[in-house]
Amino acid sequence: MDKNGNGILARLKKSEMADRLSLIIALIILVIFFSVQNRHYFTTQNLINILVTCSLMGFIAIGETYLIIANQIDLSAGSVAAFSGVLVAVLVGMGVNPLLALLITVIVGGLIGALNATGINFLNLQPFIATLASMQIIRGFAYILCDGKAVPISNIDFINLGSKPIIGRITFPVILLLLAFIVLGVILKKTYFGRSIYVLGGNPYAARLAGLNPKAVIYKLHILSGIMAALAGALLAARMNSGQPSACDGLEFDGVTAAVLGGCAFTGGVGTILGTFIGMLVLQSFNTGLIMLNVQIFWQNVAQGALLVVALAFDFYRKKAAAKKLETKTA
Amino acid sequence: MASIEFRNISKTFPGVKALDNISFKAESGKVYAFLGENGAGKSTLLKIMNGDYQPTSGEMFINGEKKSFSTPKEAIAEGISVIYQERQVVKEMTVAENVFLGSWTKGKLGLVDFAEMNAKTAEIISSLHMNIEPDRKVSTLSIAEQQLVEIIKAIVRDSNIIAFDEPTASLSDDEIDNLFEIIKSLQKQNKIIFYVSHRMNEIRKIAEKVIIFKDGKLVDLVDTDNVTDDQLISLMVGRPLGKIFEELDRNDKIGETIIKVENLTTSYVNNISFEGRRGEILGFAGLVGAGRTEIMKAIFGLDRVKEGKIWIDGKEYIPRSPAYAIENGIALVPEDRKDQGILPNISVRGNISISVLKKKLLTKIKFIDEDAEKEIAAKSIKALNIRTPDDEKLISQLSGGNQQKTILGRWLETEPEILILDEPTKGIDVGAKSDFYKLICDCAKKGILVILISSELSEIIGLCDRVMVVREGQISKELDRSELSEETILKYAMVTK
Repeated sequence: MDKNGNGILARLKKSEMADRLSLIIALIILVIFFSVQNRHYFTTQNLINILVTCSLMGFIAIGETYLIIANQIDLSAGSVAAFSGVLVAVLVGMGVNPLLALLITVIVGGLIGALNATGINFLNLQPFIATLASMQIIRGFAYILCDGKAVPISNIDFINLGSKPIIGRITFPVILLLLAFIVLGVILKKTYFGRSIYVLGGNPYAARLAGLNPKAVIYKLHILSGIMAALAGALLAARMNSGQPSACDGLEFDGVTAAVLGGCAFTGGVGTILGTFIGMLVLQSFNTGLIMLNVQIFWQNVAQGALLVVALAFDFYRKKAAAKKLETKTA
Repeated sequence: MASIEFRNISKTFPGVKALDNISFKAESGKVYAFLGENGAGKSTLLKIMNGDYQPTSGEMFINGEKKSFSTPKEAIAEGISVIYQERQVVKEMTVAENVFLGSWTKGKLGLVDFAEMNAKTAEIISSLHMNIEPDRKVSTLSIAEQQLVEIIKAIVRDSNIIAFDEPTASLSDDEIDNLFEIIKSLQKQNKIIFYVSHRMNEIRKIAEKVIIFKDGKLVDLVDTDNVTDDQLISLMVGRPLGKIFEELDRNDKIGETIIKVENLTTSYVNNISFEGRRGEILGFAGLVGAGRTEIMKAIFGLDRVKEGKIWIDGKEYIPRSPAYAIENGIALVPEDRKDQGILPNISVRGNISISVLKKKLLTKIKFIDEDAEKEIAAKSIKALNIRTPDDEKLISQLSGGNQQKTILGRWLETEPEILILDEPTKGIDVGAKSDFYKLICDCAKKGILVILISSELSEIIGLCDRVMVVREGQISKELDRSELSEETILKYAMVTK
């Protein structure tokens, strides 16, 4: 590491690491706990499985992270994912080239996001309300598109896209997800667009006075969220060999949970992609661990909710202590 | 006879002495007017009276008994009601529900007894010779009627001390007459009434006594009949201008016209015409709510322009959006620093760089050039003397004066030709203020047109080359530097013919 502190680790600011520290510790504790309970937990195959499962929720979490920082939200992400799964299955079934089908699906996802943004920008709808409405509408169209029946996929090229290992045992969705985290993490941290997201979430009126165009930013954010959801849904369909209209129910909440675990604040202006990445890992390691311990599904729900409350309560007290320390320092 | 007495009340906020040793006694059956400039301490005293603030020192006596309130609820229980300019009504509830807010009459089974509540409210309304149905939703009432709801609330609580904070600011003449009738009938019932207003003729009509505040001090308590308007105004302002202004290095080379505004009309202002020149400090004086801010909002592309034209450097300029205004060399430091100025969750560096990020600070691959950004921040911090440990500190953790300097730094980075400052020194301490005055003069020297909105007349007089006085959405007078005095400005800002 060089003296100027330009090394990758040094560039992760100390404060940022401290902010994530409790989460990283939680992750380590979880992994140790489950590894002790089940000797199949800490194996390469299982860790890859965790990442594969993440590739569904992870894309959504990235979109939600961008949105929450800007004080927005997208409740339609799960529905868009389901719709995209059905759409891509139908397209592939019609003989469209798999990559082209994926591209079309992703564009449609982006368009749905643009519609959400239009409702927010020009009908003055709250993001919560606008995307609540589209959540229902898009879910409806997912069923309409396939007449309520799952659409099987037989195109082997497309199925391979979902599950054929590319590097070692790592599959395309996992690589794409990691790539998305890196690229969108850099964009959020390093670009004007990234900065404007924080500015918008902190104080939209001041942002406008400072020369930003909040409406344009809101468009970009929801389009991104739509694209992410479409990717997640289409790749799930490839992995499952079918597009299912009932899939991804409540997926947006998993994405939001990962983002919030990772430090995103619902008041806007705060959050990082790195945080969300760790938040996602914590959530998924926890879920996978519970399944491997054969915990009853109903109790899994209870445990997930409890995890969120415990994590946020911990964070609350940590911040309060930090604020107190600051106060005594300046006084 | 009821009475309220203040003895040596002082109130200090960080860096500001809002009230300095206030003592007086008020007796029932009289109306006391509070007169003073913005920030003279009138509202602070009302807030101490109703338990919103606690005095730093001093005591309050009601009917000879010592009282201190730690919450407004305690003050209400002691019979004190303050009726604020912004009405504290719940719009989606009925008149009666608002009147009994928080202490709804309970009937059988502990349920709210609406019939009883409505009947009681109707009784009071008719005793005031008014005509409002108790079960109407407050959102359907006019502003004057909403104010009446507040007054009825005070009567229901059996308040003996009722204070009105600029009650007529948004009322029509008829409505004002009506309000005065009500105040007179309250007076007959031996209530103590405080009345805060800037309007001389109202004070003459309604108040027996006038209490004059200046810089947190009580200047005088006089009988209204024994003083003239001119005497009142000079009691209110008559202080020599601070030395600060004499020592400023003013720009004496005023250039050609940079902005020309003709007949600008929006929903809030009418027929505004003025010109501003390079290197000039152009003041906009007037009462709060007169429309000064709204003129600037229109120019900056925030309010829709209905009529009128603007030229910048001889070219017609149509204010589309703040971004477009910035492109045309306009910068605006807004009035409400906390809600409109700072980006609270961003560092000092990010707060400075935001306005030029896109134009100056992107590398070839469109990343933010952090080194250049740090340089710009360091330059501003040094030039404006911003007191911060480093440029990564969150702006919300700085003092008000330093936040304001940071925002000024943000705008100076855009190299503006027209710099609009809306109440730039509001709520910042004296030291930071004098820093700010120097910065304003430096800007003018660089050839920037500085448009200064301020409610502090000493600032306007000490700094400005010319002043536009705004009253009720219109420019009532243009004054040259040689004509500036607090009396003259106030005359055009307040008096309605």
